[in-house]
Amino acid sequence: MRTPETATPAPAAETAPAPRPSRRSPRRVVVFLTLLLVSVLLALPFVTLLISSLRPASQMSSDTWLPSVLRWQNYADAVKIIPFWKFARNSLVLSVVNAALTTLSSAIVGYGFARLRAPGKSLLFGLLIATMMVPQIVTLIPTYLLFAQMGLVGTYWPWVLWGSAGAPYAIFLYRQFFSSFPKELEEAAVIDGAGRIRIFVQIFLPLSRPLLVTAFVLAFNVVWGDFIAPNLLLDQSNTTLAVGVSTGYVMGQGFPLPNLIAGGAVLYLIPVILLFLAAQRSYVRGFANSGLK
Amino acid sequence: MRPHRPRGAEPAGRRRLGRSRSEALAFYGFVSPWVIGTALLTLFPVGYAVYLSFTAWDGISPVKPWVGLDNYHEVLTSGDTMASLTKTLLLVAIIVPTTIIGSLLLAVLLNEKVRGRTVFRTLIYIPAIVPPVAASLIWKVAFDQNSGAVNRFLRMFGVTAVSWLTGSRAFVVLIVVLLWSIGAGIIIFLAALQTVPAEQLEAVKLDGGGPLTAFRHVTLPVISPVLLFQTVLVTITTLQTFVPVLLLSPLSDHGMQDVYTNIPNANRVYMVDVYQQFFAYSRYGYGSAMLTVFFLVIVALTAVIFKVAGRTVFYAVDPNAPAKEG
Repeated sequence: MRTPETATPAPAAETAPAPRPSRRSPRRVVVFLTLLLVSVLLALPFVTLLISSLRPASQMSSDTWLPSVLRWQNYADAVKIIPFWKFARNSLVLSVVNAALTTLSSAIVGYGFARLRAPGKSLLFGLLIATMMVPQIVTLIPTYLLFAQMGLVGTYWPWVLWGSAGAPYAIFLYRQFFSSFPKELEEAAVIDGAGRIRIFVQIFLPLSRPLLVTAFVLAFNVVWGDFIAPNLLLDQSNTTLAVGVSTGYVMGQGFPLPNLIAGGAVLYLIPVILLFLAAQRSYVRGFANSGLK
Repeated sequence: MRPHRPRGAEPAGRRRLGRSRSEALAFYGFVSPWVIGTALLTLFPVGYAVYLSFTAWDGISPVKPWVGLDNYHEVLTSGDTMASLTKTLLLVAIIVPTTIIGSLLLAVLLNEKVRGRTVFRTLIYIPAIVPPVAASLIWKVAFDQNSGAVNRFLRMFGVTAVSWLTGSRAFVVLIVVLLWSIGAGIIIFLAALQTVPAEQLEAVKLDGGGPLTAFRHVTLPVISPVLLFQTVLVTITTLQTFVPVLLLSPLSDHGMQDVYTNIPNANRVYMVDVYQQFFAYSRYGYGSAMLTVFFLVIVALTAVIFKVAGRTVFYAVDPNAPAKEG
């Protein structure tokens, strides 16, 4: 039997040359079966969601696991019963704008914390860590009151402001990442007469590509997945898909339509899953390199 | 010029001073987006909420009547508020240990060289990236009384029409929703497990210790800072639980207006109470006092976690030291 793993052992995973338990040892089997069981259990809700989304209304309470016909029309209904594409476009605009601003802003601030010395810096860094602990939910209502007074309720400006300020977790990741480079990296550039902004843009920003992806995906998911802020700050005409999908699929008197909720949830989830799978490698590396350990 | 060279320390020193001033200016330039943003969007709102907590403002009228500590007195004596706080702490007591131990265990298993571990890792992690909105809807559909997969499964054993989303069972559903994202910590735990020195694990083995001994005396101390960080993170996240509670309960076509009354008592966590005070009863002063008390509870809980962990957390290296290429 040829196993690709034994043919090309990963050099990084090489441990001491002590005799290792064989690939088929009972311990490995138990580990494998446990992981299999947990994976199946955690993946099962996706399967039942897909089945629900394809179940015709007449078979909603049937005992059979698979409906006799798959009703793809549920998806067409799900995008028709609410202004799905309008909500999706709103979500996309908000998420991309906020994530791009958050990523860039956090990189700038993270660079400052990592590479520049100034009086009061450790105090500010302490404040950064402290704000990581301040629950968003505590500040959201008072922030909403502030936005209301500034006339920004019903607009997308709050997301622009939030993005421009950077996000503490992303700033922290950048700070850890940028700290890991030797001082000589910018000293040569300083001697060449390069300014701080040029050093940041030409040297550090390109180095942080995996983190850029991580920060962008994290920020995108936060906004795409957020229910409370758009529910508070936006209205039916310009709200996001998260709000539309979770409140739209009801008949009069609040009678829910489970198959349409399922269909809407599937469509709502697709960008999140695709983005994660596409960015997974950088995402994991971004975390691993960040020193958040 | 040449004889002065050894005494070049003074001009160089002045130059360094000049550079450090420009460096400080550059620092404040670079961090200004965050400093301004935090002042405006975090510190000011928190301060404003603290101010409002001493008033009986209704959210509309131009006057904000000062009531001193009345709101705080009510928060601490109100049966409803204390009940929702207790409920939230119960949720923390269930979710935090389960999530931390569960995800650490999964990370340890995923760190073994078993076949398909990349696939397992992805499958276990994916529920953690599902936004709370979608997670709530997925389980709401699965636990639906008539059409849900859970009741379809139970019907195979003759159990019929369990109403999961109402009454005290709703709390079980809430726990399921929150535990579904148990894999959230595995990426960080896996990264931490990779830093455990293999030669020390070998040494324990040579001394005749089993894998449990190695885990307790080598692995656990090395990863303890990460364990602490994750515990604080999960605690804070769990305390804020709100969206799943909201979306698991039946929504009417009136939107969010009367949603709070539909939430079963079993799921009335603190944030439900807060939102209801603000947006259903227009009690902005009282709601602000609730937020302030909540913030203090979070600070206190975090402090307790650090205090308890302080004796056991082991910093082998300076936690602020740059990370090695992993």
